[in-house]
Amino acid sequence: MSDAFRRGERRPIRILGASGQLGYGIPTPALEAGLRRQPDFIGCDMGSTDIGPYYLGSGNMAVSREGAKRDLAKVLKAARAIDAPLIIGSAGSAGAAPHLAQTADIVREIAAEAGLHFKLATIAADVDRARIIAALRAGQVRAMDGMSELTQEAVAGSSHLVAQMGLEMIQGALLAEADVVIAGRACDTGIFAALPILLGFPQGLSIHLAKIVECASLCCVPGGRDSILATLHDDHFELESMNPARAATPASVAAHSLYEQADPFSIHEPCGRVDLSDVVYSAVDGRRTRVSGARFEPAAAQAIKLEGARLAGERAILLCANADPRFIERREAIFDSLETLVAELACEDCPKDYRLFVHAYGTNAVMPANPPMALPGEIGIVIECVAPTTDRALDVLRTAKQYLLHYGYEGRLSTAGNLAFPFTPPEIGVGPAYEFSVYHLMEVDAQSDIFAISIEDV
Amino acid sequence: MRLDALAIAIRSKNAGPCLLTLDIVFPDDAAFALAASRIDRLLEHVAGQYRKPPSRIRSFVHPPSRAIKITIPRDRLSGSVGDTDVYGAQQHAPLLGFEL
Repeated sequence: MSDAFRRGERRPIRILGASGQLGYGIPTPALEAGLRRQPDFIGCDMGSTDIGPYYLGSGNMAVSREGAKRDLAKVLKAARAIDAPLIIGSAGSAGAAPHLAQTADIVREIAAEAGLHFKLATIAADVDRARIIAALRAGQVRAMDGMSELTQEAVAGSSHLVAQMGLEMIQGALLAEADVVIAGRACDTGIFAALPILLGFPQGLSIHLAKIVECASLCCVPGGRDSILATLHDDHFELESMNPARAATPASVAAHSLYEQADPFSIHEPCGRVDLSDVVYSAVDGRRTRVSGARFEPAAAQAIKLEGARLAGERAILLCANADPRFIERREAIFDSLETLVAELACEDCPKDYRLFVHAYGTNAVMPANPPMALPGEIGIVIECVAPTTDRALDVLRTAKQYLLHYGYEGRLSTAGNLAFPFTPPEIGVGPAYEFSVYHLMEVDAQSDIFAISIEDV
Repeated sequence: MRLDALAIAIRSKNAGPCLLTLDIVFPDDAAFALAASRIDRLLEHVAGQYRKPPSRIRSFVHPPSRAIKITIPRDRLSGSVGDTDVYGAQQHAPLLGFEL
């Protein structure tokens, strides 16, 4: 295809967004409908920071290995059947080395079982810590969205530290003639904009298209996970869900630029910004929308987004409930004295080494409200403790449990116990807790200095 | 009229780990124009309900989707210890009863 384009034989290209969350299931009818349209390549996004810091921190995938294998098998077999490139971004949910290794391992296993042979590119997104510290000293790192300034401790203390690679790295893998590209943490737009830009399509249009199709049919009414087909021309693109029950309408496609974005008029890439102020969305028919008008503004200096997570401790939780209006009315004073008393008992011989949070569901536990909500007849209580070890977290929670169970608050009538336990033991260790430690921009000269492409014959 | 009687979507979600973004989508141009004309009062309401200084609140009127978007800092980074809503998907309720 690229040879033909180089000879000047240009034509619109067809792009299949197979899945926006690989591993959670890909509806087969829409995927097959998409394949019948002979797409020029297939892309899938597999990750995000919106699921919190745990997956990046731990190196675990958010999906099961079985779920990932089922979906990877579908798209891999599909792409090989039509001999189209397959591009997967943010491998294994967070795109760090263990996620990339697990995803590539599954792909090799599927290939061996199905007798498939192809050229596989994997692109690591982990960033060398010494390079970040050097950039920090040189004043080339800046905080994103109100984060505090980056410190050497935050860099050193992150269990995984990646950067979102831009489309240039995926282009590098395609230029190395990879049939299948598995990128570690990547800008979701890179998956879908890399090849179009390589073929000479406008950057603004290609990146705007990419930002929409990376979520499959989420931009439709009703939104859903079915594959979506985009047809890219030199001055516009058209979107069509591969499920006939979903319609890409001008309003639904435009509304997608709101989704999980701070600013609906801008898309930021390492290489620049796409301005969506003058984009026009128009209906082709009841189910298809035409989009044009995105403008690309190159950045003066390339900057990549660093993402890191660190271990916060081991988490344990206590699950219980209360159904006494007298307790519920006084809950704030009760929980305040709980924290003080637990600290006195649990830290008699040592400094406070844990964090304790009471989530009293039914009483503005999800968010504060002004005025506060009316009190319910019963409340669910989750007490969360993060401590250096699971045993320590459980020990603190057992102290909290006994105190709450028997606390003689003013006006108490239920003197046998304040808590209902749905089962015992009600305190459960739930494993390591992670927190985001790095979310910063780092200036780079060339992305190939940071990210490494490996090519292998499978 | 209450906002939830006029809008077809009122929702919240993370925009990265540090920010929460609120989207209010309207069914037609008239409803969108009415709400957009009240945006100053809406932003005051958001500042009060979410306890954010006006300088930390960004807002966008987005005609192609007939939507108003308001982006505010999260109280805690997504998923940090003590967070109450990792995805930020249930922080929209204070918008529902806003009187236009």
